[in-house]
Amino acid sequence: MSRQAPLVIDNGTGYTKMGFAGNSEPSFVFPTVIATHQSNSAGSSNSAPTTGRAPPPIAGKPSHLASKRGIEDLDFFIGDEAVANSKTYSLHYPIRHGQIENWDHMERFWEQSIFKYLRAEPEDHYVLLTEPPLNPPENRENTAEIMFESFNVQGLYIAVQAVLALAASWTSSKVNERTLTGVVIDSGDGVTHTIPVAEGYVIGSSIKHIPIAGRDITYFVQQLLRDRGESQQIPPEDQLRVAEKIKEDYTYVCQDIVKEFKKYDADPYKYFARFSGEHSVTGRKYDLDVGYERFLAPEIFFNPEIYSSDFLTPLPEVVDTVIQTSPIDVRRGLYKNIVLSGGSTMFKDFGKRLQRDVKAIVDGRIAGSETRSGSHIKSTGVEVNVISHKRQRYAVWYGGSLMASTPEFFNVSHSRENYQEYGPSLVRRFSVFGSAS
Amino acid sequence: MPAYHSVFNDDTSARQVGNTAILPISTKIRGPAPIAADPSQPDIIEESLDLFRANCLFRNFEIKGPADRLMIYLILFISECLTKLAPTPGKPSPSYQEATKVLQTLAVDHFALPGDAGFPLNSLYHAPASRVDADHLRSYLTQTRTELALRLCDRIYPQEQVLGTDGQPTGQLGPRASKPSKWWMSFQKRRFMGRSLGSA
Repeated sequence: MSRQAPLVIDNGTGYTKMGFAGNSEPSFVFPTVIATHQSNSAGSSNSAPTTGRAPPPIAGKPSHLASKRGIEDLDFFIGDEAVANSKTYSLHYPIRHGQIENWDHMERFWEQSIFKYLRAEPEDHYVLLTEPPLNPPENRENTAEIMFESFNVQGLYIAVQAVLALAASWTSSKVNERTLTGVVIDSGDGVTHTIPVAEGYVIGSSIKHIPIAGRDITYFVQQLLRDRGESQQIPPEDQLRVAEKIKEDYTYVCQDIVKEFKKYDADPYKYFARFSGEHSVTGRKYDLDVGYERFLAPEIFFNPEIYSSDFLTPLPEVVDTVIQTSPIDVRRGLYKNIVLSGGSTMFKDFGKRLQRDVKAIVDGRIAGSETRSGSHIKSTGVEVNVISHKRQRYAVWYGGSLMASTPEFFNVSHSRENYQEYGPSLVRRFSVFGSAS
Repeated sequence: MPAYHSVFNDDTSARQVGNTAILPISTKIRGPAPIAADPSQPDIIEESLDLFRANCLFRNFEIKGPADRLMIYLILFISECLTKLAPTPGKPSPSYQEATKVLQTLAVDHFALPGDAGFPLNSLYHAPASRVDADHLRSYLTQTRTELALRLCDRIYPQEQVLGTDGQPTGQLGPRASKPSKWWMSFQKRRFMGRSLGSA
């Protein structure tokens, strides 16, 4: 019997990406949200006392739930369907800050993802799941329990998201060796992480989070439009959507703000753009000008000062700090391989600008130490490389798809037989694989 | 990349009053300002106008020299000008001619000098050492403000490009815009370093 393609499921805080290994894009991308019926209080009573970790609430355990085990527990929706039914059902987000908070909801979420969306028989497939860096091993055990005991999967591998993002960067033409050492800059909607990885292992102590990500860029675009009086054209309920659209379709990263302002002055027809929208309810058409926000919006990564008043460190500086706090023997490898992942790193020339700014910081430091040495020591220089590639948006999922389609994957995954032999503690360890070395 | 600094900071030949530089400008307005050696080179006024939109976005600024102080003052003055030109309920934005007049009046109006009670940045500026110095600074700033107001009007009331039949610009310049450019006016509410020259 030939093996079926493993399932690759990347459950993020905002969106779940899932599909089959070997594909280049996930088959389904939808919000990680579950809509349960309001009368079902079992879910909320499980999630309420989050202090002092309660034992994993496996469905069917609480007695009062069992008493009304009719078909209520099948009455739920996930993803876009859940959002569409939000009026009559209550929405729950089972993942908070990348970690699973409500296991009962998560189990049911997986159930529908596998049976209703992927339409797969889990007992015929290996499964690759992802986890955030610094995920406690207990969470892995819970996950394994659900996967093996509820779904009876053939085998399971849980990979760290950052490592998969590194693997996804191997598709870039700039990469000539497959290494699992590098810094991953993962920017989604809510938060941006910079995660150093050395030979497949995350350096937990050096991870840094930046409270600026996609949503903030949207807000900033909205603020600029409002300052200019442009938002009078837009119906109030569409404002956020329009700002988002402008962010996605018109923005790019510039090399220098003042020069960019001058370019707009010199050739307004080339740079100012026009956005046309339509009122979502009445169908009334409206137009607005798109101007400086085209390059100012992504600029908040490089000059957070122009947007926020409490977080002021530019992204290149954060990247440099992350590398400088990592062990000295991997720093060169980290500078050489800075990898982008997530939708908010997709701005045109984002990688170029980041590379230039990090390089400037590094070169400045080298020049400084050369002078302090009295010009006796000459540095050979440090190579700084920022890798952007075509699969950036779903980089983590794509990396998972790559890894799971190698024959090695089946050897490093934990199989059902082994789980039955050793129990959940088996999944505390996963061996790293895939790098060329 | 923090906010932008003046390129004239390294110019040590300029005279200083208090710790503010008196830099040469190229102008036809009469006053005590030194005349710029080469009128084709951008002077401090040009620089302030160029940096205004970028620096306005920043709240923090590290002063690196006496020329920066002059630049900050001019940038804050531009903000004040834009506030004057903003439409208020019942009163739309003025036309080019009116705006020139309004800003000329504003430029020569009485204003606070460093050291005066009404000056917003007294912690960063030294007061002029003597009466004579203060008078000199006042007339220099008046002259600079007047010149700046003129050039600002040119920028925010751009000559509209004449469009050809195909809707593409022909390269010819038409009459001036009838109201100030919204691309400039949108910066009116942003306060460079969180300060403003006006009493408000």
